[in-house]
Amino acid sequence: MFDNNVFKENTCKNISENGKVVGYGMETNITYYRGIPLSMVEYIKVSADGTEVEPEDIRISVDQNDWFTLKEAETVTSYKWEYGEPLYIRVDQEGGLTAGTHKVKLTVATRTAYIPVPLEGMKEREVTIA
Amino acid sequence: MSRIKPAVSLYSLQDEYLNHRMNLADIMRYVKEKGAEGVEILPDQMLKGAPCISDETLEQWNGLLKETGLAPVIADVFLNTNLYKNRTLTRKECIALLAEEIKQAARLGIHLIRLVSMVPYWVIEPLLPYCEEYDVAIALEIHAGMAFDIPETKAFIEEMKRVDSKYVGLVIDTGIFCSRFPRVVREYETRNGTSKEVFDYIDTLFEKGSDLHREIRENGYQYPKELEEAIQTEHDRMFVPLCDGYENYKFEDLDEYMPYIKHFHFKLFEMTPEGPEYSMDYKGLLQYLHSKGYDGYVATEYEGNRFTLPGEKMKEKEQVAAQLSYIKVCLEEIEGQEGR
Repeated sequence: MFDNNVFKENTCKNISENGKVVGYGMETNITYYRGIPLSMVEYIKVSADGTEVEPEDIRISVDQNDWFTLKEAETVTSYKWEYGEPLYIRVDQEGGLTAGTHKVKLTVATRTAYIPVPLEGMKEREVTIA
Repeated sequence: MSRIKPAVSLYSLQDEYLNHRMNLADIMRYVKEKGAEGVEILPDQMLKGAPCISDETLEQWNGLLKETGLAPVIADVFLNTNLYKNRTLTRKECIALLAEEIKQAARLGIHLIRLVSMVPYWVIEPLLPYCEEYDVAIALEIHAGMAFDIPETKAFIEEMKRVDSKYVGLVIDTGIFCSRFPRVVREYETRNGTSKEVFDYIDTLFEKGSDLHREIRENGYQYPKELEEAIQTEHDRMFVPLCDGYENYKFEDLDEYMPYIKHFHFKLFEMTPEGPEYSMDYKGLLQYLHSKGYDGYVATEYEGNRFTLPGEKMKEKEQVAAQLSYIKVCLEEIEGQEGR
């Protein structure tokens, strides 16, 4: 239902630390119509060129300062993912994505107040890494 | 004299907000310009940090109310019983969360809270002292698919009647008054692969004054034979439960609840070029409410945004304006010109 909110355009890029590419990241809007604490993220899935990323290699943040693994995020109630603000997602992967075109698929699911199943949204984008 | 007043739930303009085409100030100014007298807000949607908003956010809100003259009518509140993945919140935790929402509403100058459907009845009594201290009423939303026949709703209503306080009531969402299945939903879901037969079957139910929710209930919560025959694919089977949220009640079904009704969501799927909404008879409902002496707001709640076809422009602004203008014409006819 919220597929259009997932994976903001032109946000997928490699991430460098101390001159070394340590992974890649992207941004997404929320698959819901209101903001929720990070603990209510049910799951995030990333796949690149058909290969699913291991969940422990994914970290998320609402401010790009404090990052949580998906496991850690399960108890994070004082950081809120606001409606209209992106969730920053990063995948730890030495070297990041190679230069050129890739198919990156992002799936986001949130738990909601009264709907028994999590609200999932998914979008695949063709991204170009410089 | 009682008066029915138009308001807009800012939920109606959520896509404008999400994609930063409009901010809160733009939206408040827009709905004022189009004729709203009050606003309904989801604090979790458009106020950062809710329910613990900053003084700066509060100042901005107060400034916008002052500038526009809009009345802060109601805050839509949710209960995150599933805040954690590994367990459901305890009663004590639920009540503490809702108490924070009551305090926030009071800070925002709002005296009414919409509790989302399925909020358990047992929050009422422990919350009453907060309602009284902060002068904020709590009202459960009666929403199609989760309306008067659902055990959770029944229990809330029973407890509401028992405590009999002006601080406990109901909000009615007019999605319970669909006399036709919304065609924008049909078009959108047809594109997603749902079979024609499913919609044709649902249409026959509305034509005979029923709806899918009622039909399944009256069949002992089993799918009727005709529905099974209409289902062509696994996709259809996945989609059918989502057709539950459009019910076909009669206005008179509200008779016994009128003393408790504090607010209305005028659900909107599609204002037609001819004037009326495609599925709901607003004029008939306004006539009914006028005859019952309803004194309160009716708030536009546009939901066609989620059924906008790929590649088509969002019509949130146009649809909100069209509904406000239609309601105004209806009210002028029903209530007369005086005082308007």
